[in-house]
Amino acid sequence: MHRRGVGAGAIAKKKLAEAKYKERGTVLAEDQLAQMSKQLDMFKTNLEEFASKHKQEIRKNPEFRVQFQDMCATIGVDPLACVSHCARPEMTFRLPALWSRLTLFFSRSYPGKGFWSEMLGVGDFYYELGVQIIEVCLALKHRNGGLITLEELHQQVLKGRGKFAQDVSQDDLIRAIKKLKALGTGFGIIPVGGTYLIQSVPAELNMDHTVVLQLAEKNGYVTVSEIKASLKWETERARQVLEHLLKEGLAWLDLQAPGEAHYWLPALFTDLYSQEITAEEAREALP
Amino acid sequence: MAMSFEWPLQPNVDTRQKQLAAWCSLVLSFCRLHKQSSMTVMEAQESPLFNNVKLQRKLPVESIQIVLEELRKKGNLEWLDKSKSSFLIMWRRPEEWGKLIYQWVSRSGQNNSVFTLYELTNGEDTEDEEFHGLDEATLLRALQALQQEHKAEIITVSDGRGVKFF
Repeated sequence: MHRRGVGAGAIAKKKLAEAKYKERGTVLAEDQLAQMSKQLDMFKTNLEEFASKHKQEIRKNPEFRVQFQDMCATIGVDPLACVSHCARPEMTFRLPALWSRLTLFFSRSYPGKGFWSEMLGVGDFYYELGVQIIEVCLALKHRNGGLITLEELHQQVLKGRGKFAQDVSQDDLIRAIKKLKALGTGFGIIPVGGTYLIQSVPAELNMDHTVVLQLAEKNGYVTVSEIKASLKWETERARQVLEHLLKEGLAWLDLQAPGEAHYWLPALFTDLYSQEITAEEAREALP
Repeated sequence: MAMSFEWPLQPNVDTRQKQLAAWCSLVLSFCRLHKQSSMTVMEAQESPLFNNVKLQRKLPVESIQIVLEELRKKGNLEWLDKSKSSFLIMWRRPEEWGKLIYQWVSRSGQNNSVFTLYELTNGEDTEDEEFHGLDEATLLRALQALQQEHKAEIITVSDGRGVKFF
């Protein structure tokens, strides 16, 4: 009697087939793992070579750093993160052994210090830059209330680093500040008229405040009339924002201005008066 | 916070501190640059120090008084009359001048020497010193400070006053 698929024999056969497939699957997985391991070793060697060749370049050349960061972004690696994340999360489920090997590879034995920062000194560079940025902001806080343009920050940081120190670009500053932000230090980045204002003191600035700051960028000051005309606000709303900026120490009141009170923002000054007076005069004029 | 229209000192307390500090520094720099050691309040009001014609801003007299009081508290200013109409302005405090003078005296090995006030500020020997050309009023106060520390004694000499250093 030949009937297909039924009967003890058929079941046993099926079970055998299943077992064989499973075995095959395991073999395949192991194969893949072996291959991946080999590739990983090769990658590691190449990377070490790259690191030693370009470590200096990374620390010295801001353009190179940008390209390096772009490259890292493409392959899904954040050189400044504590544990680098591979771009293939589904691997965790398919090949758990491989995934744990990868995370180990990228995180090394020091939790909190990235593989890349160790290898290439990239982390140190941005860490040091972050510290410098904080120092500059603290030093100038009395003058501008904790708000500074990216340009002025850049100038001051370069000044602090001296002639022979490594060159730092505005891109570097933004990256470092983003990291500072992520660490919860109260740093903020506010876009204004083509550039950025860096906020180092966690003053409470809502949308209304930032939009008025952007308006003030043109002349370094702003008035109630100007706010009403440009933003179409009521007098009271404009007044409240200006009072808040005064309270936060970001704005200075000028009651002798022609027409109405002017609210000046020292954070925006250097852009304006660097064109009119020399650095020497500027130094003399300030305490 | 009550604010009269004539009152350009900043309403924010922290900002006002910064403002006062900036004014004090400006006054001292200005006086140092123009070699002015004394002034009347009327003069000050009209001087480019407190009246900036180009910017069309002046500091009103009440605010000027506050700045001057701040300078007095810091030891850089002394009223020359009871009605507070004129003052002595010292961009270095008398104690600081005293220290510089005494250092010169020690360096040049002239302790126990006697000098006339004129010699100190206008003599050839002090040409390279910072206190060369210092006005008499400030010099006197500097020497008085040294006298307090028993480092000097102001004495009378033939045609005026002098000082002996210890």
